[in-house]
Amino acid sequence: MIELKGLTKRYAGKSVVDDISLTLEDGEFGVLIGPSGCGKSTTLKMINRLIPASGGQILLNGDDVADLPVEQLRRRIGYAIQSTGLFPHWDVARNIATVPQLLKWPKSRIDDRVDELMALFHLDPAEFRGKYPHQLSGGQAQRVGVARALAADPEVLLMDEPFGAVDPLTREVLQAEMKRVHQQTGKTIVFVTHDMDEALSLATRIALLNQGRLVQYDRPIELMVEPADDFVREFIGQADLGLKLLSRRWVHQYQREARLQQTETLDSLHAHGWLIDDQGRPSALAGARLDDADAITRVKPEWIATPEMSMKEALSRMVWYRVMVLPVVDDAGKLIGEVGMQGVMGMQDEPEGALS
Amino acid sequence: MNAPVASSHRASRLTQVRARASGNLVLGGLIIVLVALTLGMGALEPLFHALFPELRNPLYARDSFLNLMLAHIGLVLVSSLISVTIGIAAGLFVTRPVGREFEPMVSSLAAIGQTFPPAAVLAIAVPLAGFGFAPTIIALSLYGLLPVIQNTIAGLGTVPQTTLEAARGNGMSRTQILMRVELPLAMRVIIAGIRVSVIINIGTATIGSTVGAKSLGTPLIAGLVGNNLAYVIQGALLVGLLAIVTDLLFERLERRYSFGG
Amino acid sequence: MSKVDTRSDRALRTSSRPIVGNRVLLTLLIIALASVAFLPFATLSPNRLVSGQAVMLWQACRPWQWIALAALGALLLVSAAGRPLAARPACRVALLTSLPLIALLLISLGDYAHRALSDASPAARVSQSASFWVLLFVGALVAVDALQRLRLGLVPRLGFALVAVVLVAVCLASDLLSGLSIMREFANQRANFLDQLVRHLVLVAGALIPALLVGLPLGLLARRREAWRSGLFSVLNVFQTLPSIAVFGLLIAPLAALARAVPWLAELGIGGIGLAPAIIALVIYSLLPIVRNTYAGLAGVPAGTLEAARGMGMTPTQILWRVEVPLALPVILSGLRIVTVQAIGLAVVAALIGAGGFGAFIFQGLGQYAIDLVLLGAIPTIVMAVIADFILQILVSLSRPAGTR
Repeated sequence: MIELKGLTKRYAGKSVVDDISLTLEDGEFGVLIGPSGCGKSTTLKMINRLIPASGGQILLNGDDVADLPVEQLRRRIGYAIQSTGLFPHWDVARNIATVPQLLKWPKSRIDDRVDELMALFHLDPAEFRGKYPHQLSGGQAQRVGVARALAADPEVLLMDEPFGAVDPLTREVLQAEMKRVHQQTGKTIVFVTHDMDEALSLATRIALLNQGRLVQYDRPIELMVEPADDFVREFIGQADLGLKLLSRRWVHQYQREARLQQTETLDSLHAHGWLIDDQGRPSALAGARLDDADAITRVKPEWIATPEMSMKEALSRMVWYRVMVLPVVDDAGKLIGEVGMQGVMGMQDEPEGALS
Repeated sequence: MNAPVASSHRASRLTQVRARASGNLVLGGLIIVLVALTLGMGALEPLFHALFPELRNPLYARDSFLNLMLAHIGLVLVSSLISVTIGIAAGLFVTRPVGREFEPMVSSLAAIGQTFPPAAVLAIAVPLAGFGFAPTIIALSLYGLLPVIQNTIAGLGTVPQTTLEAARGNGMSRTQILMRVELPLAMRVIIAGIRVSVIINIGTATIGSTVGAKSLGTPLIAGLVGNNLAYVIQGALLVGLLAIVTDLLFERLERRYSFGG
Repeated sequence: MSKVDTRSDRALRTSSRPIVGNRVLLTLLIIALASVAFLPFATLSPNRLVSGQAVMLWQACRPWQWIALAALGALLLVSAAGRPLAARPACRVALLTSLPLIALLLISLGDYAHRALSDASPAARVSQSASFWVLLFVGALVAVDALQRLRLGLVPRLGFALVAVVLVAVCLASDLLSGLSIMREFANQRANFLDQLVRHLVLVAGALIPALLVGLPLGLLARRREAWRSGLFSVLNVFQTLPSIAVFGLLIAPLAALARAVPWLAELGIGGIGLAPAIIALVIYSLLPIVRNTYAGLAGVPAGTLEAARGMGMTPTQILWRVEVPLALPVILSGLRIVTVQAIGLAVVAALIGAGGFGAFIFQGLGQYAIDLVLLGAIPTIVMAVIADFILQILVSLSRPAGTR
């Protein structure tokens, strides 16, 4: 648990962080967001004392961080930054092992931990262990950076715009991975970004900052549904608020039972059915095409949905591939349901139930 | 998408390996020639007789070439050890918070100092320290200090801020950051500075014989003064080879510390 | 909350009013004081070749000089302190103090030489000694430190340098220092001195002009034919690595043989010793920095700029002269700066093969153990190198495109 109490930072008498108080419970994914210069990075760096606070208090699981020896404090806190900050003279394994080595773990334990983390981030140890940072792609380097931050199983993970410097496609992949890692590890994370979409897709709590002050601290849905003031409304951006809402809702909330293709003919535009192969995987869709209601369409991997996919993503795939429904499959690729265009308007259950 | 990158990487690694192998051959050959000439210059006496028939003693005999070589290496080694120790210490001092105030002054001293001709520095050391070993060591150490300081400052300056921030963020202490991150990353540039310093010192030690320090310059200068070209060639060959071999050794050392940046 | 506050407040208080404002200046003052206390200011010897007796600063100075020096030292101490002066005024005071300090040192030394020699034998000599050099050095460094801290522009810095040069020149030209041993040596060697100065300059110019004529095209070639680059650079690097005296020595035999074989070359003055091998060796040394910097300058021109130039229809020649050369010029001139300073230094060694120059004084002096003669060669060489470096540094900064200076 992290508690900020009246946290303040002044430079030459000017407050860049002004009296911020908030509490982040264990296992939460907290995002600090705001326009550039709002003090979000400064706030983050005061938590591991890279920047000394001018006033206020930070409690890490009840301990005042100002009372802890600074290096010890930082070894309890994982830290990942935008440019990765990987050490160019160390290979991937040694980079990940940075903090365990500082903590003088036995070598076998370090090796096991490195392999474990590389597996967590889908980096093949055989291929990547001995590579140097300059031999990695941006996305790979960023994974190593986060793996390094997690290496010593820290109480908290701080991330300063970690995906700011990678291309949009890689960023989406990394975000999905981050979400998975958060779920698997249950870490408490403090994440700084200026990208609202990133915040909405990752956060369980969002702290919106402006000119050093905390404007609103809420769950993402509340931020969208009940913005505290015009600044919040503007910062979220009203234009595609609907789509942003959908980015916080998940396919499994809209999922319904899949209708299998029967022999009889299709009677209306919305009538359709799935063909499945002998392993239960969807192979083709009969009907439900905008351009040709009677068509049999081969199922492509690009227009399959998974229960954890956001509805925004699912909707986007429907529009792009011109189909009214997507098959929902499990990890093995088995058809477990479907999600359709008309379902977007109504939910099967309350969305927030899944979030809390 | 990864494949072409990987294969071009492999190809460049292959040419690198090939270049390194031929480099090893050249270096090995040069070392053998250097040792052989140092120990067996006498065997070439007939050759020098044939080249310079007018000379009665075409082989320098007042001292063995091995002694001269060892004296020369000794001069360079002692002075370089002094310059490297003081130079790196000074470079570290002015890049730490305590000494940062001295950085501009030390940098400009190192820059201005290097415009001083080494031979003039050597000459000026004589009124301060007399003739012989001492002024040569003083001049060589002082002069050799400057590239080391300069490159230590420059090398530590090339360590990216983000790398330092990551090191601090991961809970490294100041000493750990210095030893594990800053010095290894700056090492290539620091070694380049030591290389410059040592190569200049090998040359200046040669002139050291004019102020009374024994070195490979002794036969060379004796030959120039006594109009004995054979002596000149013997001294020049050995000192030239020594310089080239040293330079190649440093080149390999430098390569060890490049991390693809 | 209150704990954090008091901590940072205390830091704020001490950082705004430190006792020592300028630790560099303070260090320099301590060095100066130590040299005055422990090192001789001058030496008095019965003749040119015998080492003499040490004279400390307080023994050499008249009371008024003493008081003036102490006053200047006190002024510097005040500007090194954190109060009462603020940082910038303190630097200005230090800067303005440095020149009188240097002048006073020269006056005290010259004055002492005149007084000491008036009641001694004509052969007696007075020489500057360690403490004089340290104090002179400290005076110069005080100015350098103040100039760095004030971050003045090019013009004020140039102006200050000019004033300093004029000041020293006046002292040298006047009768003030004529009692000093080195100035007497100079008086004896006056005609010879000018000869060797010219000779030294001829060596340097004779090396630089051919080196530029060959090196600039080679640098361009290295840029245009990247495949040749590494070979060319390693050959030139080998030459750069060889000790200068070895190259001089190794050139003697072939050139002597050449002169014997081709008599008209010998008539032109080309032979084993003298100017010819010296200039050839200096040219070889000068090539690497010129070629390397020409290449680096050209390679540093952004690809986008070149593409834009091509896209606008410039011919390769136009691109070279209008885009590449102007953009590469600062780097090329930096190469020239390196080479000029290096050639001035190497020309000293050339004296060993009879090429003359200031090196002739140095080696002649070393041979006779005449320290003044050694200094008469060494000091002007250093001054020449520093001046050349300074001038070329200004040229480099002037050659940078406006706005990036």
